[in-house]
Amino acid sequence: MDITALLAQAANLMLTGMVGVFVFLSILIIAVKGLSRFAAPAEQTPPSSRRTKSKPTSEEQVPGEHLAAISAAISQYRNQHFQSEK
Amino acid sequence: MDGLFNLWSATGLANLTLPALAMIAVGCGLLYLAIAKGFEPLLLVPIGFGAILTNIPVAGLADPGGLLYYVYYIGIDSGVFPLLIFMGVGALTDFSALIANPRMLLLGAAAQFGIFATLFGAILLNYVPGFEFTLQDASAIAIIGGADGPTAIFLASRLSPELLGAIAVAAYSYMALVPIIQPPIMRLLTTEEERNITMPQLRAVSKQEKILFPLGVLTLTLLFLPAATPLVGMFCLGNLMKESGVVDRLSNSAQNEIINITTIFLGLAVGSKLAADQFLTVETIGILVLGAVAFSIGTASGVYMAKMMNRFAGDSPINPLVGAAGVSAVPMAARVVNKVGLESNPHNFLLMHAMGPNVAGVLGSAVAAGILLALVG
Repeated sequence: MDITALLAQAANLMLTGMVGVFVFLSILIIAVKGLSRFAAPAEQTPPSSRRTKSKPTSEEQVPGEHLAAISAAISQYRNQHFQSEK
Repeated sequence: MDGLFNLWSATGLANLTLPALAMIAVGCGLLYLAIAKGFEPLLLVPIGFGAILTNIPVAGLADPGGLLYYVYYIGIDSGVFPLLIFMGVGALTDFSALIANPRMLLLGAAAQFGIFATLFGAILLNYVPGFEFTLQDASAIAIIGGADGPTAIFLASRLSPELLGAIAVAAYSYMALVPIIQPPIMRLLTTEEERNITMPQLRAVSKQEKILFPLGVLTLTLLFLPAATPLVGMFCLGNLMKESGVVDRLSNSAQNEIINITTIFLGLAVGSKLAADQFLTVETIGILVLGAVAFSIGTASGVYMAKMMNRFAGDSPINPLVGAAGVSAVPMAARVVNKVGLESNPHNFLLMHAMGPNVAGVLGSAVAAGILLALVG
């Protein structure tokens, strides 16, 4: 078979193949979306259980003493690092 | 005197030919890459050793009656070994990232363009004197772009067994080279701003969804592409054993003992195809070049698809880097995406997001192999 005819076949295969792969995986997307809709949702850990374990007052804010300790540690590290580089 | 002469003619020294010696050197080269450089050692150690054994003169290990001949005949000619490996890979794969964000399947589809473009390229190579690839040969070579060793070996054994050695070596070598091949392409095709895109956190996936997923994939394959059922079917079986949670013993065997034993013999059988007369040809060079082209085109088309999807993504943006993971090569390609993403933004961990297109790529290349089998086989 001459190369031109083979090339035409290859081009045809390229087109058919890519269309085939996209169509198949697109159907799979729809199937997975359908699956997620009908399957039982994932068990979420109830938010209340987490709250009871942590401190009720300091959920969002870092306590001042922690902040002070952290910044002291950072400045100490920076000092040491700076000196060691010298 | 006759006795001495007969003894001499039975030695390796008297029978060693230059091509066989060159192939033994190739085998040693593969062993060096595996042991010293850590390139896909699980496969390249048995392949390299198999190549040495095959080219030992007089012993005839790969000739009818020899051990490697039977290993090849039983395991690869029948198509059994790659399928057993696929079952193990299925049992090792977690589809959560893909189920949580099914759009990623499109990236796995886009990256398969590397396969089909290379098919065209392989036929184009016929214009160069010395190359005579048929459509079957070209399809088997092109599947290197799927970046999936078992799929490449399976398809090559069906379509073009005489090129199997070179195709398997190219596929596994390039899979090991993913961290070198992909990043420059990814950086070239994306802007700094795009690489910085943070993707929203994936939702949790229920056990029921994970169990139904392999069954759903199998049903679709059965309906639309039965030619891909050997690969997809074994993959889904492995995955169902893992996710169902009721056959942990079988799932563990598939993930460990079965995949390990099969890997040893698969490597040896591929090595048995590295005989001098089959490997030392100009076609092998063509296959190595085409393999690199296939990988690069696959990576590029994945990234382009991700860029396009990002344009229409709305409130859940897609980092175009994750498109590169569409070329299978689990989990190496996803790790590369994560690494390139972290270079731009040290707080942007893309690993889980890249696992979606990565496992989609496994499915995509299996589907592409099924299409090639159906149309060319």
